[in-house]
Amino acid sequence: MKTVMRFFKSLFLLELLQGMRVTGRYMFERKITVQYPEERAPLSPRFRGLHAQRRFPNGEERCIACKLCEVVCPALAITIESAQREDGSRRTTRYDIDLTKCIFCGFCEEACPVDAIVETNIYEYHGEQRGDLLMTKDKLLAVGDKYEQQIAADRAADAPYR
Amino acid sequence: MVTIEINGKPVQARPGAMLIEAADEAGITIPRFCYHKKLSVAASCRMCLVEVEKVAKPLPACATPVTEGMKVWTRSPKAISAQRNVMEFLLINHPLDCPICDQGGECDLQEMAMGYGKDVSHFSEGKRVVVSPDIGPLVATDMTRCIHCTRCVRFSDEIAGVTELGAPGRGEHMHIGTYVEKSLSSEVIGNVIDLCPVGALTSKPYRYSARPWELTSHSSVSPHDCVGANLTVDVRGRQVMRVRPRENEEVNEVWLADRDRYSYLALSHAERITAPQVKRDGAWQTVDWNTALTAAAHGLRGVVEKHGAQQIGALAGYGATTEEFYLLQKFMRGLGSDNIDHRLHQIDFSTQGAMPAFPWLGQALADLDNLDAALLVGSNVRKEQPLVALRLRKAARGGARLMAVNPIDYELNFPLTARRIVAPTAMVSELIAIAQALLESGGEAPAGFAALAAGVAVLDEHRAIARHLKDAPQSTVLVGNGVAQHAQQGALQMLAALVARLSGSRFGFLSEGGNSAGAWLAGAVPHRRAGGAAGAAGLDARGMLTAKLNGYVVLHAEPELDCIDGAAARAALQQAECVVALTPYVTDTMRDYADVLLPLALFAETSGTLVNAEGRWQSFTGCTTAPGETRPGWKVLRVLGNLCNLDGFDYEASDEVRRELEAACSAVLPSSKLEWQAPVPAAAGSGLCRIADYPIYAVDGMVRRSAALQQTPDATSGVARLNAATAAQYGVAGAAKVQVVQGGGGCVLPLALDERVPDGCVYVPAGLAATAALGAVDAVVELKAAE
Amino acid sequence: MIEMLQTLIMWDAWPAGLQTLVVIMLKIVAILAPLMVAVAYYTYFERKVIGYMHVRIGPNRVGPRGWLQPIADAVKLMFKEIVIPSGADKKVFLIAPVLAMAPALAMWAVIPFNDTLVLADINASLLYVLAIGSMGVYGIILAGWASNSKYAFLGAMRSAAQMVSYEIAMGFALVVVLMAAGSLNLGDIVRAQQGDYGLFNWYWLPLLPMMVVYFISGVAETNRAPFDLAEGESEIVAGFHVDYSGTTFAVFFLAEYANMIIVGMLSALLFMGGWLSPFQGWTDSWLGQPSLFWLLAKASIFLFLFLWFRATFPRYRYDQLMRLGWKVFIPLTIVWLVLVGVAVMAGLEPWFGKA
Repeated sequence: MKTVMRFFKSLFLLELLQGMRVTGRYMFERKITVQYPEERAPLSPRFRGLHAQRRFPNGEERCIACKLCEVVCPALAITIESAQREDGSRRTTRYDIDLTKCIFCGFCEEACPVDAIVETNIYEYHGEQRGDLLMTKDKLLAVGDKYEQQIAADRAADAPYR
Repeated sequence: MVTIEINGKPVQARPGAMLIEAADEAGITIPRFCYHKKLSVAASCRMCLVEVEKVAKPLPACATPVTEGMKVWTRSPKAISAQRNVMEFLLINHPLDCPICDQGGECDLQEMAMGYGKDVSHFSEGKRVVVSPDIGPLVATDMTRCIHCTRCVRFSDEIAGVTELGAPGRGEHMHIGTYVEKSLSSEVIGNVIDLCPVGALTSKPYRYSARPWELTSHSSVSPHDCVGANLTVDVRGRQVMRVRPRENEEVNEVWLADRDRYSYLALSHAERITAPQVKRDGAWQTVDWNTALTAAAHGLRGVVEKHGAQQIGALAGYGATTEEFYLLQKFMRGLGSDNIDHRLHQIDFSTQGAMPAFPWLGQALADLDNLDAALLVGSNVRKEQPLVALRLRKAARGGARLMAVNPIDYELNFPLTARRIVAPTAMVSELIAIAQALLESGGEAPAGFAALAAGVAVLDEHRAIARHLKDAPQSTVLVGNGVAQHAQQGALQMLAALVARLSGSRFGFLSEGGNSAGAWLAGAVPHRRAGGAAGAAGLDARGMLTAKLNGYVVLHAEPELDCIDGAAARAALQQAECVVALTPYVTDTMRDYADVLLPLALFAETSGTLVNAEGRWQSFTGCTTAPGETRPGWKVLRVLGNLCNLDGFDYEASDEVRRELEAACSAVLPSSKLEWQAPVPAAAGSGLCRIADYPIYAVDGMVRRSAALQQTPDATSGVARLNAATAAQYGVAGAAKVQVVQGGGGCVLPLALDERVPDGCVYVPAGLAATAALGAVDAVVELKAAE
Repeated sequence: MIEMLQTLIMWDAWPAGLQTLVVIMLKIVAILAPLMVAVAYYTYFERKVIGYMHVRIGPNRVGPRGWLQPIADAVKLMFKEIVIPSGADKKVFLIAPVLAMAPALAMWAVIPFNDTLVLADINASLLYVLAIGSMGVYGIILAGWASNSKYAFLGAMRSAAQMVSYEIAMGFALVVVLMAAGSLNLGDIVRAQQGDYGLFNWYWLPLLPMMVVYFISGVAETNRAPFDLAEGESEIVAGFHVDYSGTTFAVFFLAEYANMIIVGMLSALLFMGGWLSPFQGWTDSWLGQPSLFWLLAKASIFLFLFLWFRATFPRYRYDQLMRLGWKVFIPLTIVWLVLVGVAVMAGLEPWFGKA
């Protein structure tokens, strides 16, 4: 009996018609498209966009070259070289994030013991030539300097849940 | 054996062993900080607390001897609670700076805190901060991180023999530091980095440059002394970041000399040559390998065709691999020349025919631990073979009587029962006197000895040395580098061997450089073929320089520094038609005399084999690739052989070279037996006598270029030392600088008065740029006050 | 006005052959120009419909409501560089798109738009459609081969196998129609469906399984989802046209959509009564009269189905595709062939009585 039922079901394409009914119904649903440049979807304070390096309020860079972000990065997008600065402190001599490799998982931010590397809520950026998306230390610090207020506000908003 | 029970598992233990040793052998982990198997027990960290049956309180496993039937629990609630609480105490003052700490990722404290600690601490008060002393260019200190395990203090006291580190202060004010602010003078101080369980003592050159998880570890062998210390070379990308000891009880135990540990810094020295160069019309051109090798082959063949094969010679440095030595001698002999030598420091070759197949230590390195007596002849073993000195110190701590016949009263790190400090020229008669003293109590003098002994006075000291050697069940006579560089090297060796034979001691060589044994076995000596077979003798190292040949091949050496007669070496190379230098480094001097420069890989960059003083063949593979166009020496020599149309240069791997040489050496048994040849007594010299040796951080090109080593107190840029009486005699007392003139060459050096130097002698080290202009070391020295 | 134009260009003075040629050319332009526009807007419509089924809006940026989107796409494709892969057979590589395009356009020659409006009213037009339709696969195979890329080649091989398999079922389905109508002329087939019962006279009712088989085979023939294994972007990147860009790609695109419109038109002609009105006899207004409007409306329904399928079904697995063609469709059509044969012999009213 079951075999017969299945035979008729497939002969009359019932399952296919069911599928078409679903898509047919959705055709008349209200559309959820956000008209991007004019409208924007709301962003969480935890949004993981463009990376930035932060500074302490006294202007000193936060990064201490502990390399935890480098080792936790699943895409191997971070390259760090470290050395002792003249004042004896441990600093990076090179801190590169290859945004073409980055998968924006946010592990680097989680791993950072000094909140130096953060992911901002900036997602509108682009590169016009090869190398533009290789974020060097200078570029990262510049992003951090420019958006520090927003970054700090986002961290503060998220702090109660950590 | 005692049977105890750990965690319900029966374990056999040696009577008197500590619980922690028994547990380690049974593979049961007990956490520890202060306990170290090579150091005495301090029981100061209390981390190894375990529960023992019928004992009310937990006991430290490192300080509790095993007893029959003992029942121990390492993970019982009581033990765990004790360990956790100790961990909490240890962390009270430990800073939370793991992210910037070089130990982070390989830190015992981190690991123990994860494994045995708790998540929270009751301690919320401020942590203490300790000022970190500067203890030299090798070891960085962050004493705030110290947990007072005192491993470093015990190491410097017990193993290194320098009582310079200690723990002044008590309670909250206790801290580890030097008693007086200064650099530690030990040549093995780097070991405290490995010992320190936290990040208080870390490597200064490595500081902040890498993380342990970025490093890939490779096994290697140190090429700087005849111990052949086993290394772990940590590489990041292509760069060698640091070197650590690889445990090998039979060779280096768990220790490493600073020279082995920090020579890697020279791998990236600015003087590295990274592409072949050829001199054309007086100007250097960087060329490809093909051009350079063709030029080298063409040049050498040209000399052979024009002047005959006897007009070319090869000088090899002590640290080349056995494969390189073998291929070099094969190449030279293929061209028809026996002029090949690696003994650049040697000036007397009179007894070379009597030598065994290779300069053997006479015993295994580990046997040195159990000596009852030893006589060192011409050896500053502490600076020449630091790890041998550690073993001798161990023997001395076990009651061995160590004695020395030396040209300078070297600061050794073990006490000497007897010492004879005499001018180099008098060392022969000292040994004759000791041999004579031994003959007084029986024994047969060899032919010609009586003539030598005539007129030599035997003193009580000689008799004491003789007695100690003879009475000791395990005794040895070791000849050091001071003998190898001695003008009467042959006589000294013969007599030292005689003393050993008469006293029933083992005779051994503390050979020079990292691979003398390998060089002898490979046939990189003029009178022996591979495997020690005798053959027609070519010119030795000194002979090649005085004969002023027309063509030279230089391998892994800077003859102007590495040859003890640097000025002669430079002159000989300069007049030669064709000099092919296979070298990792290039200097202006080298550019001056060489015609073809072939860049060579250094020890961490090539595969090869080193043979240490006890005849142990230790092969290693490359840890990283050499910079630029640099190639391993065996490959360069192989292609050079092909280009000169020589047979048997078809190796695909360095293993094949090793196998071929091993087959040639299959009949070689380690021996230190010297065929007796009555030494010819040297005419007593007159005038000021120079004592020259190679300072610890001037023995080879790598060590000379290691920036950190060159900043240590042991590094010297050259000082003339003589005692006050001699200074007064030669009228230079009070002078700050003196002009030293010897064998036609001269230099100006600072003068230091040093009572360790015997009368009539001046100590002017070799192997330094400042003293390279001096002539032959056996020539008479003239001194005058400079300025 | 036409007379004025004729005098102006001195039409009568032209040689007769040239006159015919010019007239035919004008007719071709009259068919192809709207077709090109239809293709262009069909792509726009596709994106819109699929977007709506995905609860999205679809193209809405270029021009009002995105109406200029297909124009923009066409302009973009025209100005893109044509990259010829270094290992490609250059001549074949460039001929292949033409070979794909030509049959898709040539088929339009025999499509009747109403009772009289047809470019070439030949008797064997159904045979012509079958013959020309199976030529299209050459373009695809040559494209896959000439690209010298394994993905393109795999796509071409899949496409060839698929075409062969479904051509048979499709042919049988058309044979059934031919039996029912007794003619190979498409106009005659439509006229055979005319009758007193309006839309119940059409062949969709007696030949319903054949209509389903024909349409599904048509989807498969045009390599459309869910039978787009020849393109299979998730497995073989884009199949046979992976190495094509710019205008050459546009030509493949055009051929595919022209083919789809043909399949829609043929379905309407063969099974849905072509230009006949479903309300025939019910009303006297234009709605009750046969007209081009009805043909296009019916074709549009089938074209919409193409899009609906694409939005609904995941791609077939290759063995499933073969099984469906060989083990389901062919037996089904053969069975129906026999049944229809019996029905025709029996003169079953109202469909088969007249012949």
